[in-house]
Amino acid sequence: MPHEKLHLPLLFEQIMQRHEREIMRYLLRVSGNRDDAADLSQETWLRAYRAYPRLQPESDVRPWLYAIAINLCRNRARDGARRARVIVGDNEGNTVGRHHRFLDENEGYAAVHMREMIADLPTKQREALHLRYFAGLDYAEIAGAMGGSEESARANVSQAMKKLKAMW
Amino acid sequence: MKIETFLSSIGNEFADEAVEELLHRCRSRVDRVLKRIRRPEAAVGVVKSPLGDLLVAMSARGIVLNHYLHDAGDLAATIGKLRLVFDPVEDQRAVKGVGEEVRRYLAGDAKALRQSVDLTLVAHSFQKKVLHKLQAVPRGAVVSYRGLGAAVGAADSARAVGNALHDNPVPIYVPCHRVISSDGRIGGYGGGAARKLQLLRSEGFELDKSAARIPDSVVWGHRGTKVYCRSNCRTTARVDRVQILFFADPREAEQAGMRPCKICRPA
Repeated sequence: MPHEKLHLPLLFEQIMQRHEREIMRYLLRVSGNRDDAADLSQETWLRAYRAYPRLQPESDVRPWLYAIAINLCRNRARDGARRARVIVGDNEGNTVGRHHRFLDENEGYAAVHMREMIADLPTKQREALHLRYFAGLDYAEIAGAMGGSEESARANVSQAMKKLKAMW
Repeated sequence: MKIETFLSSIGNEFADEAVEELLHRCRSRVDRVLKRIRRPEAAVGVVKSPLGDLLVAMSARGIVLNHYLHDAGDLAATIGKLRLVFDPVEDQRAVKGVGEEVRRYLAGDAKALRQSVDLTLVAHSFQKKVLHKLQAVPRGAVVSYRGLGAAVGAADSARAVGNALHDNPVPIYVPCHRVISSDGRIGGYGGGAARKLQLLRSEGFELDKSAARIPDSVVWGHRGTKVYCRSNCRTTARVDRVQILFFADPREAEQAGMRPCKICRPA
């Protein structure tokens, strides 16, 4: 195979350039908080760099990145729950509701209500819902990001929607 | 409003400028950390040579990989391994010289291989020692697996030496083709025995295409006494073969700083 294209995987910088906006927006929407989103995005990209050699060149980058991001969100939620018991109301009391601190004052009551309902969903359903409606992944990509099958991704989203609709 | 539409709109009101500003902040922090944990870059390309296509990678310190390519799957797997240590960047121009050097070397130019060797891809200290020691075996000579093992201080480790050589990331430049069985058989080669024969032939050994052993015309040089003999000299029957380098001809032995045996008079 003389002088054939090598099909090297994309440089990490290229991947970052291509997807950093998307990941940042996703994290903003999931966390609802600028500082958290910035921290999580930084951590996502550093982890991605470390894990990058193990990403097969032909496999899809987006589910892989979201997998890293949701794992970090999960860790953050766990540590946050631990911390919240000790520190109450950090950050000038912008703590709204039980689960989320909100950045945006314009966000209407309906959105706040919706966030709380989403926060009450079981973890897997919540994550699948986030990926479907916040990140706009299709079911195959959700399965890739969360592990498990396409069917279970579909089931998680539909269960979540059923619950939300019941309370809507 | 439908619930799906509403869901998609939650948190969507973050202004583009706000996102850009966050991205900027995040990027500079990521860059600062990456500066410390970055894998070094390696220029990668495929070059043609008389020994077939070679996948070559060069770091700033020298050649890190010189791989005989079999097929596309082999290419992907090898690059996969390279990525664990380096960030590969395709650069055919940076590696072109290697193909040229190999071509000239096989044509008989003893000084053609000029690239310095970077053994970063070699993770195990034993393998590193073996490959390092092997670089001292000159062109025109071969050593046995046992002998090489003894030279790194591990007698009776011929098999381990064989394994270490099998995973040599920089064949030709680190001359793993210059290692043979101690009974004189040519032995195997990571790139296939035919390439080993071709390389040894270019270094002065009289071997035909199907040769299984090194020829009787080789002279035995003793690393300790610095004396070289014909292979049928009566001293060779008793000598500890671990100490022997086999030279293609007396001239090569002289060049390695040895003197002829006074019993068999090989010169």
